[in-house]
Amino acid sequence: MRKTLFSLLTCMLLFVGPALAENQETLVVGVSSDIHTLDPGVSSDNYDWRQIYPCYDRLVKYKVINGEGSTEVEPQAAESWSVSADGTIWTFTIRQGISFADGTPLDAAAVKFSFDRTLKIGKGPADNIGAIASMQVLEPYTLKITLKNAYGPFLQTLATDGASIINPKVLQHEKDGDLAQAWLAENTDGSGPFVLTEWTRGQRAVLEAKADYWGGAPKIKKTIVRFMSESADRRMALERGDIDIAENILVDQIPALEQNPDIAVKRYPSQLVEYVYINCQKPALSDKRVRQALNYAVDYQGIIDHVLQGNGVQMRGPVPKGMWGHKEDVYQYRRDVDKAKALLKQAGAEGLSLTLIYSDRRAAWEQIATVMQSNFRDIGVDLKLELMANPTLRDRVDKGDFELCLGAWSPDFADPYMFMNFWFESDKWGLPGNRSFYKNEQVDTLVKKAAVSSDQAERVTLYHQAQDIIMEDAPYIFLYQVQTIVPMRKNVQGYVYNPMLESMYNFEAISK
Amino acid sequence: MRVFRYVLKRLAYLVPVLFGVTVLAFIISHAIPGDPAAMIAGPKASREAIEQIRISHGLDRPLVVQYLSFAGGLLRGDLGVSIRNHRPVTADLADFFPATLELTLASMTLCLLVGIPLGIIAALRRNRITDHLIRVFSVFGVSMPVFWLGLMLLFVFYRNLGWLPGSGRIDAVLTPPAQVTGLYLIDSLLEGNLPLFANALWHIILPAFCLSYVYLAIITRVVRSSMIAVLGQEFITTARAYGISEAVIVLKHAFKNSLIPTVTITGLSLGELMGGAILTETIFAWPGMGKYVVDSVNALDFPAIMGFTLVVATVYVAMNLVVDVLYALLNPRIRY
Repeated sequence: MRKTLFSLLTCMLLFVGPALAENQETLVVGVSSDIHTLDPGVSSDNYDWRQIYPCYDRLVKYKVINGEGSTEVEPQAAESWSVSADGTIWTFTIRQGISFADGTPLDAAAVKFSFDRTLKIGKGPADNIGAIASMQVLEPYTLKITLKNAYGPFLQTLATDGASIINPKVLQHEKDGDLAQAWLAENTDGSGPFVLTEWTRGQRAVLEAKADYWGGAPKIKKTIVRFMSESADRRMALERGDIDIAENILVDQIPALEQNPDIAVKRYPSQLVEYVYINCQKPALSDKRVRQALNYAVDYQGIIDHVLQGNGVQMRGPVPKGMWGHKEDVYQYRRDVDKAKALLKQAGAEGLSLTLIYSDRRAAWEQIATVMQSNFRDIGVDLKLELMANPTLRDRVDKGDFELCLGAWSPDFADPYMFMNFWFESDKWGLPGNRSFYKNEQVDTLVKKAAVSSDQAERVTLYHQAQDIIMEDAPYIFLYQVQTIVPMRKNVQGYVYNPMLESMYNFEAISK
Repeated sequence: MRVFRYVLKRLAYLVPVLFGVTVLAFIISHAIPGDPAAMIAGPKASREAIEQIRISHGLDRPLVVQYLSFAGGLLRGDLGVSIRNHRPVTADLADFFPATLELTLASMTLCLLVGIPLGIIAALRRNRITDHLIRVFSVFGVSMPVFWLGLMLLFVFYRNLGWLPGSGRIDAVLTPPAQVTGLYLIDSLLEGNLPLFANALWHIILPAFCLSYVYLAIITRVVRSSMIAVLGQEFITTARAYGISEAVIVLKHAFKNSLIPTVTITGLSLGELMGGAILTETIFAWPGMGKYVVDSVNALDFPAIMGFTLVVATVYVAMNLVVDVLYALLNPRIRY
C-alpha cells in the first residue's frame, strides 16, 4: 500500500516538472487584469488593447527610433497620404497585398467599414476618431476622408486601438443588428501579426503568431497572457521563470527583483501623470492666490523620492515631457512655505480647512495624501482625507462635489490636445476632462484654436501661450510623470516601450 | 415520508428568502453612489457617449422598472447581461463558478480528512502533549489572517522551495480540459489526461489548504469537545465493561454521537467557504467568482453583482437545508 502511494506521488512529481516558460517559442506575460471585451470598436481599456492591438493593422503606427518607441507615426496599412490645404480632406493610399485570415483583402472598403462601424457603435473609441464627417472609396485602394473641421491630432488618432482595421466579412456573425459586437467581444478578425486562439476567462489568453504576416513573421510562435491579480504572485512567478515579463509590480518589490541576476528591471519615462484637481468653483478655492498657495505648499521632490522611491519626474506644466508642445521653461511651483503663507494672508484665507478625496486605484495615493496633509499643515491649512471607492469618486468628480481630488491621466494619442483641450476647455467640465471646473475665456479661445489647426508650429505657439496663463491660474497641482517599470527575464530581447501604448506590447518583435 | 414532506416545505421557504435577497441586493447595489454608464464608457468619455450607454443598457429607467425586468428575467432563468462585458451573467457564472466550487469542495475535503482525525486524537489524548500541539495548530488557524497565510505559503512552498505551483488552476502553457463539469480534476480524468489531472491537483493544494485552515481549526475543536462529552457518558463506560474494543467504541459509538455538531459546522462552513473564497482566489490567482465579483463591484456591474449574490445565497440556504435534513436522519428524536 505504502509502496503504491509512493510511486503514485513520484509519478505526479515527474508530470509536474520544472518551469515551462523556458520554452523559447512561447512568451509568457503575467498581467494584473483580465480582458473585458476584444472589440476594438467598443473597448476603451488598455488591458483589452494589450490583446487587441497585435491582432489588427492600422493605417499608421508609432515609429521605433534606435530601439526606442516614439510618438511620431509612420505608414502601416497606409502606404502614403496627402492632406488638403485647409486640413479637412485626407486621401490615403492603402498598401496592396494585405489580407485577412479568410483571404479577404484589406482595401479602402475595409478601412471605411471599420471606421463606420466604430462611429456607429458610438462608444469610447468613437470619440477618438470623431473628427471624421464622411468617407469615400475613390479607388479600391484609395480612401478619401473628410473631416468635420481641421483637426490637428487626426493622424495620431489613426494609430489608436479604435482605428483598428476589421475584416468586413465579420458581419456574417452579426446578430440582431449588433454589427457583430457579441462575436468580436470574444474573437479577433484582423490582419495583424497575431490571432487570438484561446481566452479562458480569469486564466489566460493565447495569441498565435501568423507565419505569413505581410510585415514578416514574428520571432516567437505564441504569446500567453496570464491573468494574475496580485503583484506578489507576478513577482514570484517571474523569479521562478514561470513568466517572462511581469507587469505592474509594486514599487517596494522592485529592489528585490533588481538583486536577482536572472532579471532585468527596465525603466521608461511614461506619459502617465498624477495630479490634484482643485475645484475652482468652490468659494474657498475660487481665488487663484489660494490655489497658488496650495501649489507652493507641496513637497514635490519629497513625494518622488520617498513615496515613489525615485520612480517619477516632477511635472513642468500640463503637457508632459516627451510630448511635443511641452514647455520646458514654463513657471514651475516648488515648495515655498513662506510664499504660500503670504498668499493665503493676501487672499484673506487663513485658517482654511479643505477635504481631499482619493480612491485606492493607485497604490501610492494613500501615502501621497498623508504627505500633502502634513505639507498643508505647514501653511496653516487643515486637510481632511477621505478615501472612497473609485466609482463613487468618479461620480463626485463629475458632479463637482469635492474640493481637492487626486487623479491620474494618460493620453490616448500623442498630441498635446489630450492634455490642453481635455483639461482646460470649459465645455469639458467634469469626467470628460476638465476636472478642476476651470474657466478662462482666453485659454478657451487659445486651445480651441489650436485644436482645429493643422499647422504644428502654430499649435505649439498657441498651447505655449495658454500654458503660461494656466500656471498663473493654478487650477491643478501638477505632481509628477510616472516612470514605468518593466521587469523581465534577462533572455527576453527586442521589447520596445512606447509611452502611447501603455500596457501594450510589441509581441511581433520580441524573442527569447 | 415525513422527511420528504419536510424537505418540500423547506424548499417552498426558499422562494421568499431568495426573493428577499434579490430585493435587498438590488437596493444595496443601487445605493452605491456612482454611475455605471460612466464606468463602462471609460475614463475620458464625452457626455454624449455616457448618455448613449445609459439608454442602451436601460439604466435611464426608474429603479422599480429595472428591478421588475430583472425579476422577470430571473423567472426565466435569465440573470441579465453584464454591463461590463456584454455577456449573459449566467455564461460568466458558468465560467467562474466551477473554479470556486472545485476549490471549496477541495477545502471541505481537507477540512474533514484532517480536522476530524485531529479532533478525535486530541480528545483521546486530552491534556497531553499531542492535544496541546493540536490546540496550537488550531489557534493558529483561527487567528491567522488569510491574506498573510496565503503569502507565507506562496513564499515558502512556491518561491523558495519550488515544491508547489503558486497560481492558477494549471500551468499557463497547458490547455484546459474540455468543459464537462467545469471541475478540472474531474474533466481531466474524463479526458483520460493523467498529467493534466496531476497538474490540476498540484495547483489546488496550496489554495485549498489556505482556504480551509480556519474551518479546519474550528472542526478540530468541535470534534474534540463533542468527543470528550460523549466519551464521558455512561453508555461508553458500559460498552467498555462489555469488553468491546476501544477502536469500535471510539469510531462507532462515540464518533457517531458526536457527528451532529460536526455536520452543522461543516454545512455552514461550506456556504461561508464559498463566500469567503474571494481573498484566497486573489492571492493564488484562482479564476473563480471571487475575482469576478470584486471586478464587478469596481465597475458597478449590477447584473453581475446580483448574479453572484444569488448564487452564494442559494448555496448557503441549500446547505442549511441539507444540514437540517441530516440532523433529522442522525437523530430520530428531532421532530419536524
